[in-house]
Amino acid sequence: MTRALRLLRRRLVGSVFVLLIVVIGSFLLLEAAPGDAVDAYIVSTGGDAGMIELLRHRWGLDQSELTRLANYLWALLHLDLGQSVTFSRPIRDVILERLPTTLILMGSATALSFGLGSALGIYAGARPGSFRDRFLSVGSLALYAVPGFWLGLVLIVVFAVDLRWLPIGGIETIASAKTGFSRAADIATHLVLPVSALGFIYLALYLRMMRASMAEAWRQDFVLAARARGLTRGRIVLAHVARNALLPLVTMLGLQSAQMLGGSVVIESVFAVPGLGRLAQEAVAGRDTPLLLGIILVSAVLVIVINLLVDLAYAFLDPRVGAGEASA
Amino acid sequence: MSELTISRRGLLAGSALLWASTALPAIAFAQTPKKGGRLVLAADSEPRNLNPAIVASNGVFFISSKIVETLAEASFDGKDGLEPRLALSWEGAADGLSVTFKLRDGVKWHDGKPFTSADVAFSALQIWKPLQNLGRTVFKDLEAVDTPDELTAVFKFAKPTPFQLIRNALPALSSVVPKHLYEVGKIEDNPANNAPVGTGPFKFAEYKAGQYYRLTRNDAYWSKDEPYLDEIVYQVLPDRTSAAAALEAEEIQLAAFSAVPLADLDRISKVPGLKVITKGYEGLTYQLVVEINHRRKELADLKVRQAIAHAIDKDFVVRTIFLGYAATATGPVPKNDPQFYTADVPTYPFDVAKANALLDEAGYKRADDGKRFALKLLPAPYFNETKQFGDYLRQALAAIGIDAQIVNNDSAAHIKAVYTDHAFDLAVGPPVFRGDPAISTTILVQSGIPDGVPFSNQGGYKNADLDALIVKASETLDAAARTELYKEFQKKVAADLPLINVAEWSFISVARDTVGNIANNPRWAVSNWADTYLES
Amino acid sequence: MSRLRRFLSTPEAVAGALILALLAVMALVAPLLFSGDPQAIAGPALQPPFQDWSLPLGTDRLGRDVLAELFHGARTSLAVGLAAAAAALLIGAVVGTLAGFAGGLVDEVLMRVTDAFQTVPSFLLALAFVSIVGPSLGVVVAAIALSAWTGPARVARAEVLSIRERDYVAGARVIGMHPLEIAFREVLPNALPPVLALSSVIVAAAILTEAALSFLGLGDPNRVTWGGMIAEGRTVLRTAPFLSIVPGVALVLTVLGVYLAGEGVVESTAVRRSLS
Repeated sequence: MTRALRLLRRRLVGSVFVLLIVVIGSFLLLEAAPGDAVDAYIVSTGGDAGMIELLRHRWGLDQSELTRLANYLWALLHLDLGQSVTFSRPIRDVILERLPTTLILMGSATALSFGLGSALGIYAGARPGSFRDRFLSVGSLALYAVPGFWLGLVLIVVFAVDLRWLPIGGIETIASAKTGFSRAADIATHLVLPVSALGFIYLALYLRMMRASMAEAWRQDFVLAARARGLTRGRIVLAHVARNALLPLVTMLGLQSAQMLGGSVVIESVFAVPGLGRLAQEAVAGRDTPLLLGIILVSAVLVIVINLLVDLAYAFLDPRVGAGEASA
Repeated sequence: MSELTISRRGLLAGSALLWASTALPAIAFAQTPKKGGRLVLAADSEPRNLNPAIVASNGVFFISSKIVETLAEASFDGKDGLEPRLALSWEGAADGLSVTFKLRDGVKWHDGKPFTSADVAFSALQIWKPLQNLGRTVFKDLEAVDTPDELTAVFKFAKPTPFQLIRNALPALSSVVPKHLYEVGKIEDNPANNAPVGTGPFKFAEYKAGQYYRLTRNDAYWSKDEPYLDEIVYQVLPDRTSAAAALEAEEIQLAAFSAVPLADLDRISKVPGLKVITKGYEGLTYQLVVEINHRRKELADLKVRQAIAHAIDKDFVVRTIFLGYAATATGPVPKNDPQFYTADVPTYPFDVAKANALLDEAGYKRADDGKRFALKLLPAPYFNETKQFGDYLRQALAAIGIDAQIVNNDSAAHIKAVYTDHAFDLAVGPPVFRGDPAISTTILVQSGIPDGVPFSNQGGYKNADLDALIVKASETLDAAARTELYKEFQKKVAADLPLINVAEWSFISVARDTVGNIANNPRWAVSNWADTYLES
Repeated sequence: MSRLRRFLSTPEAVAGALILALLAVMALVAPLLFSGDPQAIAGPALQPPFQDWSLPLGTDRLGRDVLAELFHGARTSLAVGLAAAAAALLIGAVVGTLAGFAGGLVDEVLMRVTDAFQTVPSFLLALAFVSIVGPSLGVVVAAIALSAWTGPARVARAEVLSIRERDYVAGARVIGMHPLEIAFREVLPNALPPVLALSSVIVAAAILTEAALSFLGLGDPNRVTWGGMIAEGRTVLRTAPFLSIVPGVALVLTVLGVYLAGEGVVESTAVRRSLS
């Protein structure tokens, strides 16, 4: 328990520095961008020199970079994410509106790839080198090699347009006034395709990892001992080999959390899902610096929390892991 | 639609007998509009500020024009191409110093307050003139708006202003917003900018960011029995391919503004239950233009510009990039404009040999590698077609020994690079022709415009003759004389090529067969849709 | 020789090697077979494949030869993948070595920076970077490298930590070598093999990232890449599916080939290690 606490403290202190680097780095990157929020805005409106000056002044873009960075950090200290330029609303509200969608999408996709991936990995790894092993690992790799947006487009054409089994996009039937269970069912139907597109891509990671750790585990002493005790192959696989192989998969889960969010940018755009990834893309296109900073910050916190949970879980699951080692 | 139709419809509603017996035009009889229903359509962008009085742009109109109305709307058969909305008539004084509007009686705002001339005066003076992207130019000399009674508004100008210009500006620039909601606080921060209140056939209901906008029927609309629809829902579909899929899956009933890619139209027109409509955008013509940076010494040479014009196969562009849904351009006014267009201008037929000869003459011989000089080409990223034309132009220039490197920017970076930093040699732009050259066309070639003004002459082009002509036309009150000056303007631009006009295009709508009264005015997609209906 | 035989001992590795060899040949002969500009307009637009034998795979929206684009695309896709992986491995190895060898504050700072990069979704970083600097091949490579160097850095650091206490490093210290010289001459080369094992994953990810960036309109318009071809073909996915299927299949095969071959290498070295 104290070990876990020590890990927690160490992580929290480190996280503050990490977040500071992330914020300042992102700010500088965005400031280096050609064109600002006003340039992005007038694309669709046009306007004369006076109007442009007016907008720059109203949006505070006529202040120096340093002033704006200082203002931003100062506001951040008070847990204020600031005001979005493009939405003219508090960024906290804009992000909170999108966060649940992305969490559901990412959570379901992770569950799918983790669950199905490790199950198939166990199935494949139970008989290393067999046909099913080779078929599954090459097949999952092929899925991993398919660009996510392309998989998404094909899924839409087949399941939404031709077969009409599922909706083409969005997070729920628009303006349907559904509530409670029927709304949940509605959201679930809408999520099937995007979750599949996102989840199947990462399936290979877990499948191959599970398979590899199982192949490794077969050679280890405790499995040999179990075999010597005459346990059935099935029981060995589930009780010893697979359980032991689960640990590195949990680590992978933490590492992948950041990648998933990146992958969801494209998937959310293809499936018109109003999530954080698409918001980030809009923030970049609209040069909405504070909004993008807010999104990056929130996703960074998310990633840090997930990894912390993974490490804590790891520390509980495997007593051999020291707190210091886990931070590397 | 004119006053006549409206009163006829009033009559119709009164008697079922009349329905069957009167000699109605066949078209009105065949398309007996049905009441009710929800129209779901695709929206590819989400404008944040929905106030069309501040942001006069098609993206905003697409949604707001159903809520907030203008003084007049464009029309296929009305006088001067207009039909009444909030104004019933408009008349310009001979001295060009005033315009008198007679307003419609019995109009109510969505919150129940009456619409009066005070609203028009407030909108014009407090919003169009100081804040609106286009109004700042057109209404710059507007001094006062007199309101002798509740239904009369008299615009007073400090300098003579052509009535023709004001008239042509009405459909896009004259959105009237309620004074009683806007007179408190800063206009730019008013909550009604995000949830507009107007006099139109539909009320703003809700906006879910990233998902949809929903409008509901205004039961107290001034045109009795209209609107027919109960609801309009704009479903946000950011990906360019999803509108076609959504139409086929019957999740939406309409995709306007070419949301279905041109290349998909042929296939989708064969899908049962869907129709492709090319009408209804006549008043929203986009022009495909090669913008030229005259600061480059090669491009300052007229012969080089002529060579580039000759190197572009406009027919290929129309046929291959626009798949026939466009027209070749001859000059800065589009062919489909009924008032100003003239075909009597110098033209540049596709002729690679001549282009090469012109470049040789200009002294830019091919080097050993076959290249004469290199250029930076910036295609605007806003449309598929502008980007594709950039790819084509690069090949067309290669054929005459000009090595163009394409610079691919996103919208914000493109605007900055071309209009503020002038970091381009050639750019591909899609300026909009808004019914009168003085609104947004002459600034494409006029000199003396400050840096940073988008969609204006930022290529360093300066032609005193042309500048004088533009000023003269802007002060000429007589419509016929003014039109002649703009014909002269087209000739001069085509001769001196400050920019090269390649093609003109409008948009395409795809709709289910059940959607009725589509495309019945030249700005249909951005008009009020009071008469649009759904067959069960 | 036996090493090669070991490498080729599984059918997966053979398939991977074959795909990569084919790809390399395509990339090499592209300028010979299709000498002109692959983006030149070669025929009528949207011609389906197998109709005209001078344009065997048909033409795209502007009438460009799809086969020529495919061959030239192999060059750019491979170049992007290799360059990005090389850059990521280089940055990662240097940062990892410095952090691991110097320890203390330097280690702490470098690792927190690594954390920061790992915390931000890599595709988001690449997306922002390319939108901001402007899409050209070099920028795309830099963006991918920027988001992929953290893995190699961690592996290199871990490896360096275990190497730096070894005898020959102590020996180098004793004879008065400059610490940087020790780090990069003695330690880094020995820490490299496990870092290099990551290269296939990074090459594959780089090719996919380039494709996704092109999909969002952030590719280099002056070069043909498969990602760009798919992105352009997707607007006509229903009308002319071959335009996105042809480069799509090429992309999938390539990424698959890189993985399989990479795995073959790792496995054959693992076998060699366990044998020695």
